[in-house]
Amino acid sequence: MSTTTASAPARPGTGSSPTLDVVSLDPNRHVPGVRRPGFAHVLHAEWLKFWTVRSTRWSLGLLFALGAGLTTLVCWAAAADLAAGDTGEVPAAFLTWGLLFSQLTALALGTLVVTSEYGTGMIRATVTAVPRRGRVVAAKAVVLAGVLFVVGVVTAVAGYLGGNWFLEREGVGMALSDDGVMRALLGNGLYLAGLGLFALATGLLIRHTAAAVTVGMALVLVVGNVAYALPGTWGEWVAKLLPGNAGGSVAQVAPFNGGAVLAPWTGFGVFVAEVAALMLVAVLVFRRRDA
Amino acid sequence: MIVARGLTKTYGPKTAVDHLSFTVEPGRVTGFLGPNGAGKSTTMRMILGLDRPTSGSVTVNGRSYAASPAPLREVGALLEARALHPGRSARDHLRWLAASNGIPRTRIDAVLDLVGLEAVADQRVGRFSLGMGQRLGIAVALLGEPPVVVLDEPVNGLDPEGIRWVRSLARELAAQGRTVLVSSHLMSEMALTADHLVVVGRGRMLADCSMADFIADHASSYVRVRSPRLGDAEALLRINGLDVDRVDDELRVRGRNAAEIGELLGSAGLYVHELSLVQSSLEDAFMTLTADSVEYATHSTETAGAVR
Repeated sequence: MSTTTASAPARPGTGSSPTLDVVSLDPNRHVPGVRRPGFAHVLHAEWLKFWTVRSTRWSLGLLFALGAGLTTLVCWAAAADLAAGDTGEVPAAFLTWGLLFSQLTALALGTLVVTSEYGTGMIRATVTAVPRRGRVVAAKAVVLAGVLFVVGVVTAVAGYLGGNWFLEREGVGMALSDDGVMRALLGNGLYLAGLGLFALATGLLIRHTAAAVTVGMALVLVVGNVAYALPGTWGEWVAKLLPGNAGGSVAQVAPFNGGAVLAPWTGFGVFVAEVAALMLVAVLVFRRRDA
Repeated sequence: MIVARGLTKTYGPKTAVDHLSFTVEPGRVTGFLGPNGAGKSTTMRMILGLDRPTSGSVTVNGRSYAASPAPLREVGALLEARALHPGRSARDHLRWLAASNGIPRTRIDAVLDLVGLEAVADQRVGRFSLGMGQRLGIAVALLGEPPVVVLDEPVNGLDPEGIRWVRSLARELAAQGRTVLVSSHLMSEMALTADHLVVVGRGRMLADCSMADFIADHASSYVRVRSPRLGDAEALLRINGLDVDRVDDELRVRGRNAAEIGELLGSAGLYVHELSLVQSSLEDAFMTLTADSVEYATHSTETAGAVR
């Protein structure tokens, strides 16, 4: 081990003056020639953490398989009926069908990014390495949202290519240039990224994997669907504003019948605001709480 | 240097750490000693900014841990509970830690080599034994070549060779001028490692002194005398103003050495069957000191240390 004459030499019994201590603190003095770490370092650390556990690859693989695979499968199965007009739905609604399930894996992944650290005690290592906890959350959020956006778009494109091939054979396919197709493909990435952040914030607040995943899924799926049963105009508004319903419409070429949704970008705006509010609460709680 | 001033932590009605003030000086090993539940780990967590003190403060090199721009290069810590993901390899764990604080990657191999984990560095740490986990924890602590090293129960789960290694490592780090704080609930372990002692019980300070002072103050010694004419011997020693206790069939004489006592008895023509110096161990001294502050006392005399 290279001796760096880190602190003042041994002087037991003599109290060193505070000014001396502050000087001996400078990390550049301790480890010569290394720059003071910044946000990029924290980001790099979170990137490494993200990819060095197996649950990440599993979740993302499943996200792709469910999202692209189910879309293709369902389009294949429904193409003939759609062409005949027997389903009562527009063919466009089926081009992102798999999102219904792929969003679950985004929720799970977003939750695990935080709760796996609480479950294993890793969180202590994380906040000792980076005591500025807001930075930790920011870095986690950037990595998670970035990856989910890319994987979400890739999944949606693959699902579109696969599903549309079957629709095309029946003459009810849609071109990329058709209204809403490009928006939905990008929207898949945006929605899944937002959903991941939503789950990350839930995880920070709840800290237990099973509980956080359950709450996230219940809120997005169960409550989101049940809310449509609420009576009157206010019931419809509650349903429209719930995160899954508000955010989901940007990711669909066209909505299925039976559920009123906000216009794609309006809905996404509401969703972003909801996610941002939850993240803010989560960060404030995380900063105050003992790790 | 670590400075705690009036450090206090309460959890609801329970006070885990109660107005602790102490200074951990560089260049020596400071032992942080106390029974289980004495507040050692809580104190260490506050040093590292994991827990927020209810009142009081603790600084590392003059400022709070969280204020350090690159804390891993300033303070290296081994925490008592494992703080790693079982699915990640040892090398990957060190990689992200190094990245977070801008520590050169060459340090990763250096610390793996230092703790003897090179061969298993790419295995998932979930498969590690307790001892291997401790070694990885020490590798983490030393990753940033920190001037301050905090080790919470470092010998837990280590084999005898590992225990000896940790001891010499702690002493070596101190000899390099670093500040070293090592916690333990074993007095015998501290006696071999620490230069200075901070003893706590139920969150309160019980002693803050050098190891030598602690031994002088707390480890009592006496001369045991056995004689066929115990009563006469006792009377004679008392007349000469010695501090004598009669316990069963022996006398315990304090304040004089065996030679003086033997000569005194010999000059009176008393036979002596045994004349021996008895030193109580540091373990006994520690037990005595913390007897009132044991958090989870066992209520059997067999296990309370009395028979040790």
